[in-house]
Amino acid sequence: MQRVLQRTVTERVRLARLAAEVVAATEGVTATAGPAGLWRTQDGERSIPGVVAIVVGEGRVEIALHLDALWPPEPFEALAGTVRDRLRRSADSAGLDDRLGPVEVAFHDVLVAAVA
Amino acid sequence: MADTTSSRPDTQGGGKTSSLSSGKGQTSIADGVVTKIAGLAAREVGGVHDLGGGTARAVGSVTQRVGLGDQKMQGVSVEVGEREAAVDLTLVIEYGESIPQVAEAVRAQVVKRVEGITGLSVTEVNITVNDLFFPGDEQDDEAPARVA
Repeated sequence: MQRVLQRTVTERVRLARLAAEVVAATEGVTATAGPAGLWRTQDGERSIPGVVAIVVGEGRVEIALHLDALWPPEPFEALAGTVRDRLRRSADSAGLDDRLGPVEVAFHDVLVAAVA
Repeated sequence: MADTTSSRPDTQGGGKTSSLSSGKGQTSIADGVVTKIAGLAAREVGGVHDLGGGTARAVGSVTQRVGLGDQKMQGVSVEVGEREAAVDLTLVIEYGESIPQVAEAVRAQVVKRVEGITGLSVTEVNITVNDLFFPGDEQDDEAPARVA
């Protein structure tokens, strides 16, 4: 009988997944792994681009979100605030609110939609 | 809690960034983003044909074809401080337009976009009009070769 290895998912990776979902659901931004592809969190066999989750003190997880904005963007501070608030609510719903530490938001580029 | 801003090197991306931090985390903006916003804002103004000097445009068209350049940053130079930014633009304006009016409209649009999007205060927008575009200039560039 073939045995399937069950991986447990750490709270760090669960928060990284939540962060990726929040970014994907937020209009006007897209996650970027950066020119060297380094801004990502490993999640088993795959990785989550644009999200860097690091355990800091007391088991709290700092999330750094690396984003490109779509032209014309909303004010960056408002966009960052929206993403942070949604992530806090999402973490709260998942029972991870006491694990979520600071949420850093970095804007790296502005993307312009190609004209058809 | 009072927000604070700072300008620091972006160690991961290689470029400089400006940042705004609050109790919930820090927001950073790469200087290249400010450059791109200024370039896109200038291109939104009627009468602006292109950005960049002759050499920059020639080199830019080549680098863009090989996927190395970003035309939206051509002809734009920004200096970003802790709370302020200064912008230098080199423009090609369409022949027949009023250069002072187009320059003023570009200045207003760049200030509006950069301040609105990044929260930085724009202290100056310096504009150099490098060339005039005449209708038909592009057709000359694309004319077929006369010899095989």
